[in-house]
Amino acid sequence: MPEAVLQMSHVGVTLSGQDGSVVEVSRDVSLALAPREFVSIVGPSGAGKTTLLRAASGLRRPTTGEVSFDGEPLTDVRAGISVVFQEYNKSLFPWMSIGKNVAMAARHLPAAERASRVADALRLVALEGMGSRYPWELSGGMQQRAALARALVSGPRVLMLDEPFASVDALTRGLLEDVVADLWERSSFAALLVTHDVGEAVYLSDRVLVLSARPSRIMAEVTIDLPRPRRQTHTRRLQRFVELEAEVLEFVYKAGRGSAGQGS
Amino acid sequence: MIALAGRPVRWRRVGLWLLGWAGLGVAALAWQLAASLSHSALVPTFASAAAYAWHLLTGPVLSADLLPSVARVLVGFGISAAIGITVGLLVGYYRSPREWTAAVFDFFRSLPTPLLIPVALVLFGLGGTMVVAVIVSAAVWPVLINTANATAGLEPIVVDTARSLGLRGPRLLARVILPAVSPQIFAGLRVAISVSLAVLVVAEILGGGSGIGYYIENAQQSFQITGSYAGVLVLCLLGWMADSLFLLAERRLLAWQRGVVGGGDA
Repeated sequence: MPEAVLQMSHVGVTLSGQDGSVVEVSRDVSLALAPREFVSIVGPSGAGKTTLLRAASGLRRPTTGEVSFDGEPLTDVRAGISVVFQEYNKSLFPWMSIGKNVAMAARHLPAAERASRVADALRLVALEGMGSRYPWELSGGMQQRAALARALVSGPRVLMLDEPFASVDALTRGLLEDVVADLWERSSFAALLVTHDVGEAVYLSDRVLVLSARPSRIMAEVTIDLPRPRRQTHTRRLQRFVELEAEVLEFVYKAGRGSAGQGS
Repeated sequence: MIALAGRPVRWRRVGLWLLGWAGLGVAALAWQLAASLSHSALVPTFASAAAYAWHLLTGPVLSADLLPSVARVLVGFGISAAIGITVGLLVGYYRSPREWTAAVFDFFRSLPTPLLIPVALVLFGLGGTMVVAVIVSAAVWPVLINTANATAGLEPIVVDTARSLGLRGPRLLARVILPAVSPQIFAGLRVAISVSLAVLVVAEILGGGSGIGYYIENAQQSFQITGSYAGVLVLCLLGWMADSLFLLAERRLLAWQRGVVGGGDA
């Protein structure tokens, strides 16, 4: 197995509120993401999935443990890691056109190269020619595709996705999943997806990690041996898909019951 | 189709615009009537006040008092905006300066401005510098407080996005935070403009040495009643012009926001 591009070792995150309250969100999470691998983290709500992703991306430092990227300790955000957030309507800058939003992620490049990279990225997500539009002129699905283009324009080694399709309708969601699956198959980045949707995790991933309730740790790992390329109309009807989904779901419910037993 | 649909909208706008001016006309007429019916030497008619105001705008008063006032407002407002936005962004973004400046800011903000004029007179003497200083001491707060509150209350995802794009420090503040909070900054600036004008007049009355406030005070002291009314009219005109220019700038700079809040115009 090749060396991991992203590694989390015994990561724990404790959040302290302004009122002095302290919450241990996760405890001792370890995972390794191989180059070009697609890994999902699922878990009951409140398991600290987003917090974990912020730690994995360098947006916040873990309280305990260590994150390393490319074999080096990750202490801050850095080039090579891109993040797509859940709320695309807040994450795209509304005062910039779609093209400028995407270009923000490639601003270190000379103008000519930047322009062609932006055009390429928009073409990849089927937003060709939409660069001069403003985010509010686009539908939710198009906005999230623009956010994907911005994340990919820099050619990241790891793409992190935080519930990226949670705020779009079911049909758009399926289409966006296929956009991601397709981009991932055609490019060379590793993906780390955080979601509460077990079907989505199984559909997209090579491996699914199930998070326990707070303070979370990884309580199960399920390898997804479904054939690729995956397509909504085909893959989700496979007997194997249904089995894997049921298996992961069982772990998630077990984790959810754990949290119900502990109280809020 | 489009022409037909566009027409009523345009006519409605013209209608609203006419209605606004008609309201002003009615007010002027009421003033005219009340003044001519009262036959009081203390209340000039609108026509004579307006004629006097025109005389102010075209005569030597323009360069002696009016232009200095405009310059003071511009400089005072400009300094207030620069300080208010810069300090507001820093204080809003970084938590520790916010905590140790909050009490100081609250203290100075709640000082009544006229109270500062005697102090400013001692520090700067009579004249423009004193007036500008007093304007800044009052107009900086709405800008600073609005900017700081908006920055501190910004959606964390905006900052996370910018950081994950590799932006940090001054560039993060200038390229993402500043535009993100610009609607609230504009709201603060608009308040600052009217505060600047109000403070200008008070400061000039108490020790401007020149200016529109000084002129109005002088006219009143020397029983030039029509003159002081005319001065007030000119001041109204100044305020209206400042506000109109401001709205025009806002509409241009915040054009992206009309789509975001979902309104836009037809």
